[in-house]
Amino acid sequence: MSPHVSDAIAKWLLAAFVILVFAFLYMPIVHILFASLSSRPNFPYPPEFNFASYVRLSNNTVYQSAFLNSLLLASCTAVLSTVLGFLATIGVLRFGGRRALFYAILFAAPLFVSEIMLGISSMALYYLLFELQGNMVTAIIANAVHCFSFCFLIMAAMLYKYDWRMNEAAIVCGASPVRSFLEIMLPITWPAIMGSLITAFVLSLNGLDISFYLLGATPTMPSVAWGALRYGVKPELYALSTLINLVVFGLVLGLLVSIRLKRKDA
Amino acid sequence: MPNVSLRQRLLLYVPSGFLLFFFVFPLIALVVLSFWQTENYKIVRELTLNNYVTLATEGAYITFFLRSLMMAVGVSVTLVVMAWPIAYFIVRYGGRYRIILSLLLVIPFLSGEVLRLIALQGMLGPAGLVNGMLVRMGAAPLRLIMYSNVASFIAFIYLYLPLVVTTVYLSLINFDFRLAHAANACGANRFRVFTEVVWPLNLSGTLVGFMLAFIPTLSASLVPRFLGGPNGTLYGMSMSQQFGESGTWALGAAMGVVLFLFSALALAILSFGVDLRRTGFTGMGRQ
Repeated sequence: MSPHVSDAIAKWLLAAFVILVFAFLYMPIVHILFASLSSRPNFPYPPEFNFASYVRLSNNTVYQSAFLNSLLLASCTAVLSTVLGFLATIGVLRFGGRRALFYAILFAAPLFVSEIMLGISSMALYYLLFELQGNMVTAIIANAVHCFSFCFLIMAAMLYKYDWRMNEAAIVCGASPVRSFLEIMLPITWPAIMGSLITAFVLSLNGLDISFYLLGATPTMPSVAWGALRYGVKPELYALSTLINLVVFGLVLGLLVSIRLKRKDA
Repeated sequence: MPNVSLRQRLLLYVPSGFLLFFFVFPLIALVVLSFWQTENYKIVRELTLNNYVTLATEGAYITFFLRSLMMAVGVSVTLVVMAWPIAYFIVRYGGRYRIILSLLLVIPFLSGEVLRLIALQGMLGPAGLVNGMLVRMGAAPLRLIMYSNVASFIAFIYLYLPLVVTTVYLSLINFDFRLAHAANACGANRFRVFTEVVWPLNLSGTLVGFMLAFIPTLSASLVPRFLGGPNGTLYGMSMSQQFGESGTWALGAAMGVVLFLFSALALAILSFGVDLRRTGFTGMGRQ
């Protein structure tokens, strides 16, 4: 057999495996999409288009307050962890010097501590120091620790080719540091910042482990979904899950389009 | 320039300080708590080793721990074996669809553990798609995938596959494939090119991916609680129960310390093989 033919066989075998795995990843998501739209959620084939479970979801006041809490938590976490991640990225890439690797390891460390450990250890700290059961602020901070590493890695991976001389050139030409940041750096690094914001937002929107131990009785969407799970899955949960998946899909698609547009400009 | 050194300090010290206060201090608090006692839902502030003695002698906790360890090793090894062909395919043959294919991996990862478990339950549960199909075709439902360790295993694979593929992908995309071609031109066959060039040079990224699946699996609590069934209790699930239903915080904290130490040990062993510059993680390898 010539190497050309065996190359082609290897390529198609790999392709088949990749298709299989993507099917494994997406089949449950598509399945619950159909289930949320059907009056028979257990076996929704052939598919129907029945929006009853979405109507019930929108009328459910528990989900409404949980949604608002989650939105607040996720937005604050996304901004906080992206700002910190941006500082860390510039610090490591531009001013890290010989210690760059040390700081990179430190900033990636929360990735190697599981979410549940972050949750219970933060809870232990606040309890020991302040006898405090946890509130929105502590939940935002603990979520930001977890998301910070993702933000740092995303921005570092997208910014390591950034040419710092551009900032200096702007300053030499008379721009203030703030102006050189706003008009030079921000527009160029925008996709990285957006990617980081989206990732942190979605991770903290959907994460249960950290918020569960730090929010006490305040309901968030994952905690309400988790509570509902104990009494069996209801079609409303399928509807909620489908909506979140659609939002995530839309955000990632938007990010992809913005990267493509950026490339065309360049 | 004094200005630069001030800015430099701020840029690196603000995130480091944040991590010190809200990442390192909580872990220290957990260690302190683990040496105290809980009696009647109240914490007694006296140094004692009782929690660790309980964990080391009571059979149930040892069983939970060994089960967690086996599950974590099995899941991580399976994930690495699955992730390599996928990442390799995307890097070598993805062409201009590379970004789309890698983002398609991100979408399931971002939709969150709880919602993904709900979706998976829709597939594997007693009334789920797989068993629904089997019953409709006249076969008996598969008991194996309902509320068992096998169900947990499938769930872990489903949850962490995107993370591992992405790490291996990041490593491979920074790998210079001309090295493989050079080895090939020098007469190495495909197997030798892989074992002597491609695999060793991407080992760092692979090990990072392994750890990113190993650590959350070792301390998982949601998956076993929801899918594990009667014989599926894992260490992390037992730990979360100490903080929830049974209210024995100090014992739970000791379990947390055990999990943390084992994760750190695994990290230390594997980090002998890791050169962060080669993981493609921060892109520093190309500077």
